[in-house]
This record gives sequence, C-alpha cells and structure tokens, in this order.
Amino acid sequence: MMDRLNAVQKTVFAIILAGMVMLVAIPLLFFITVSFSNSTEMTQFPKNIFPSGEVTVYVEPKDDGKYELFYDYQDGSGYTSIITTNNASKLEKHFARQYAVVMDGEEILEEFSRTRTEGAREFTFRKDMFYNFKQFFKIVPNAGVALKNSIIVSLYTILISLSLGSLAGYAIARYQFKGREQINVGLLIVRMFPTVGISIPMAVMLIKMGLYDTMIGLAFLYSIPNIALTSWITSSIFIGINKELEEASYVFGANSIQTFLKITLPMAFPAMAASSMYSFLTAWNDTISALILTNENQTLALVVYKAIGTTSSGIQYAAAGSIVLIIPALVFTFIIRKYIGQMWGGVEL
Amino acid sequence: MHKNMKKATPYLLLFPIFIYYAVFWLAPVASGIKEVFVGMDGDFTLTENLKLMFRSDLFSESVLNTAAFAAISVVLQYVIALVLALLLSRKFIGSRFLMFISMIPMAITPTATAILWKTGLVKDGWINSLLMGLHIIDNPIVFMNAEGFQAILLLIVIDTWTVTPSVMIILIAGLQGLQKELKEAAYTFGANKWQILKDITLPILRPSITTSVIMRMIAAVQVWSIAVMVLGYSKAPFLVERIAFYVDAIPGVDTSTKLAYTYSFLTTIVVLLATVIYLRVSGRNKIAAGGEDE
Repeated sequence: MMDRLNAVQKTVFAIILAGMVMLVAIPLLFFITVSFSNSTEMTQFPKNIFPSGEVTVYVEPKDDGKYELFYDYQDGSGYTSIITTNNASKLEKHFARQYAVVMDGEEILEEFSRTRTEGAREFTFRKDMFYNFKQFFKIVPNAGVALKNSIIVSLYTILISLSLGSLAGYAIARYQFKGREQINVGLLIVRMFPTVGISIPMAVMLIKMGLYDTMIGLAFLYSIPNIALTSWITSSIFIGINKELEEASYVFGANSIQTFLKITLPMAFPAMAASSMYSFLTAWNDTISALILTNENQTLALVVYKAIGTTSSGIQYAAAGSIVLIIPALVFTFIIRKYIGQMWGGVEL
Repeated sequence: MHKNMKKATPYLLLFPIFIYYAVFWLAPVASGIKEVFVGMDGDFTLTENLKLMFRSDLFSESVLNTAAFAAISVVLQYVIALVLALLLSRKFIGSRFLMFISMIPMAITPTATAILWKTGLVKDGWINSLLMGLHIIDNPIVFMNAEGFQAILLLIVIDTWTVTPSVMIILIAGLQGLQKELKEAAYTFGANKWQILKDITLPILRPSITTSVIMRMIAAVQVWSIAVMVLGYSKAPFLVERIAFYVDAIPGVDTSTKLAYTYSFLTTIVVLLATVIYLRVSGRNKIAAGGEDE
C-alpha cells in the first residue's frame, strides 16, 4: 500500500523512465545511422537520427548530350549542382562513393535519358545499406584477416581458460588441502592484475619463444585473468553440485573419470559456458595488449582502433566496423547477464 | 597408498595452473620489475628509471588526470545510479525492457564506444545536431577543442553514459533482495522515508556498493582508449594512455621502452593497492554478514 503511486508520482516516474531510456537509446540510434550513412549524408548538418534507404537527385539534360546532376543537402538552399557529365564510369564511381548507390554506369545514363523526353526531373535510387560494411573490409588492410584472428584468439582463450581453470575450480571446491585459502587469494590477485602491466615483458618473452605476433601468444596473455576467473566461477558451482549423486555413481561401479564426465561435468555446464563467454569478451574487446603483442596479425578491435587514428574523414566506415565488433560482444553479454551481477559484488540479477 | 593418492589429487589438478602462472605470469612480472630497476647502461639502479618517468612529459598531468577521472566518474556514476535505482526499484510494466536497454552501453566494445562518441562530438556530429534541433544552442559547439580539465570532464561524461546504467541494474537487484518486512516494520514504528533510506536501505546495500565501487575504480584507473580515440594522444594524458603512447606513438626509442615499463609498474602498483583494499573490505563484509546471522 505504501508503494502505490498517485497520479503526480506516476507522471514523474514515467518521465524519469523515458528520459533514462532515451539517454541510452538516442546515441545508439545516431551511431547506427552513421554506420549506414553515405559520404554525402556525412557532410550534411544537422544529422538525421534514422537511417535513410534512398537517395534522390535532380537531373537536368544538357545540349551536348551531358546531364547536370543536382543534390539537395537539406540545408535550406535547395538543389546544388554537383557534376555535369555523360561519362558512364565517372557516374558509376560518383554514385558509389558519394551516395552508396551501387549501379552500372550505363544503366544510370539510360535512366537519365528519360529527361530528354520528360524534361528535368527527380530520380530516387535505393542505397546499398551495407556499402560501408563492404568498404570497411575493402579499405582497411587486413580487416578480414583481423576478424578471423579475433575469432581464433577468442577460441584459444576459451580453450586454455576452461581446461586449466575448471580443473583448479574442481580441486578448490572438492578437496580440503593445505594452502587452499592462499591459492584462493592468489587467484584473486591474478584476476585483478592489470594485463597492461605484463604485456611489455610478455612481448619480450614471446619473441624469445617465437610466439610474438601469433594468436596463441596473445591468448596466453588473455588467459591469465580468465583462468583465475573460470576457476572461481566453476568452484562455486562444483560446491553446489550434489555430492551424493557422485557417490551413487561410484556405488554403481563408475570410476572417477566416468563420474566426472557423466555426472559432474553436465551439471557444471552453465557455469562453464558463462566463464567461456567472459574469456571470449576479454579477447574480443581488448586493444592495448593486442597493440603491444602483435605486429602484422592484428585483431578486429585493434584494426578498428587504428582505422580511426588514420582517417577522420570516412568515420562512417569505422562506425560500420564497430558495428561488426559490437554484435558478438552484445550477444554474449546478454547470455551471461545473470553472472555479471555476481562479478560485481555478489548480487544476482 | 590409496589415501596418499587422494591427498595428492588436488595438487595434481592444480599443477597445470601452477606451471602456467609461473611461466606466463610470474616470469613476465619479474622481468617487468627487473627492467624498472635496470638502467639504460644495463646496471642496477634504484631510481634512474623512476626519475626518468617523473621528469617525462605530462607525468604529473597523467597521475592527476587518472586520479581525478577515477574519483569523479565513480562518485558521479554511483550517485546517479543510486538515485535512479531508488526511483525505479519497483515492479512496473516494461522493467525488463529497461534492464535490456541498460545493459547495452557496458556491453559495447570500448573501441566502438569511443567511435560512437567521436561521431557525436565532431563539429557536424549528432550531438550538435540534437542540441540545435532542440533549440538548446544556436551555434555548434566545438567539443574536440576541449583541453585540460574540460577534456577530462568530457571523458567522464562518456564513461558515465557507459557505466551508470549497469551500476543502476546492480543496485536495483540489490534493492529487490531487500526484505519488505524490514521497511514495513520501520513504517509501523513511525520512521519517515528519509530515515528508512538512511538506516535500512543504504546499510543493506553497502556491501554490494563498496565491492563494486572498488572494481569500478580498478577499471577506471586503466582508462585510455576513449581518451586516445576521441581526443588523440597527449590531449588527455592518463597512466595507461602514456604506456600506449610510448609503445604505439614513439616506439623503438630506448627511453620510450623504459618509460613504458615504468608506467606499467606504476599502474600495477596502483591497481594492486586497490585490490588489497578490496580484499580487506570484502573480508570485513563477510565477517559482518556472518555476525548478522548469529
């Protein structure tokens, strides 16, 4: 009863809620729009919040067989003359680069030839919505390789962290032994230890081992906090798994390996999946260590980071690259959202 | 024989990670520390590299900025998140949608967050478009020219956008676990809303707030990518930004390698100090929680 709201409180509540959602959603919307914007839209001001799927130009036929092309920048000055040409390949390039309209030059000219009979008029073309994404992989050297590298280094990190971490987690959960407390504290320190602090000496070491600029070398670094994290997450689950069940399986003649594989492992699966996601996110999101530990074989996050350093124009391509970077990170964060609260101080979501 | 086997099992299971951490953690940490105390000439020195760092460009700025960034952003984020959590911690239609939206900023890869804000902060970016569209300003603001403390404030705003919604979710989760009976009992005894907040809600939230604040601090101390990607190197110097600067912007020079090592050392010390505080606090929380049970 004390929680029931009156009309004024309800309105205030709704306003706060809407404001909160808008503060998060508006920047994201604009950003997505940027990643779908063509070069011409990028020079326009003010920017639109929603992406457009079409481009409209105004075409006037000229006496010498050429066409004059006009574009409206939406700045109040109406149609502005852009180019006058009848060169098919020039038009094709212009349409791709400026409007993200991918179309054969001859076809464009054929469309324009209608103005000879109908007079000057507007033409609307469909934008290639994924033009920036394709351009990102074309313009940025090794972006495709970097995407592959990011996936590989994430998989290595998951593999190393999961195999070593869950063994340790099992030992900590199931056995009372000397030094157990110290190992727990040690694992916590390793988990908190900034990877930047190790990256530079690690680079020297990897050069000696012949693993510098390789994905496995990078995964060795990313696994440092994640082995500790995995053992921490899995140990809390192993403690919770009913020991009687394991004992029952011993009674039925299963050995400890069979019991582990058939009983314990399946029950620990959710925790292992969650810690794998964490390993994935560490490897996928990092830039500073990849910057230090790689040279030619860069990861996607690093490539996106470098893309913005080199060009301030063409930021829409970097934005498209970021969208590629964001999607897996978003998906995996939502999968493990239950565990995030626990990471942050023991609250469950 | 069998009993001995059983005794050895945990050590056997832990053996691989002992080896792993000896090779890939302890060895680099040791050689990193060694580098800090070996001079350019290869001889042992206690202070040469530290002095080099103290005298290097933008050293004091990077320390002050890191401290200011970590302190201001964490306080700001937790105050806003706490107010929002107290207002929104009730069941309502669309609460799941709010949670969904709130998770997004933190889930985005940091490099992508930096690009998101860069597309907004440029002169013809979406922030000016929005502000002018709403008639809040008449002329575009040139955010990218921000210098000194203004630049730090800009980065604090970006970080606050990124982190606050997630902190809010954590606090809401903590509040929903709060026993209703406690509140109702306090009401019955004539406590007002403020007293309930001060004497019941906040003390119960305290453990989860303190531990997550320290985790946030540890992350905030290591800020660099938004600073470099939005403003560029040396515009808003931070500790880790300096490491990246010496590795990325001026690599190959002897002093820059030494400086990168020394800055890494300093960052590590700061983070470890925070970790020790974390251990102390979480240990105390455990004891406090145990005490309450009795």
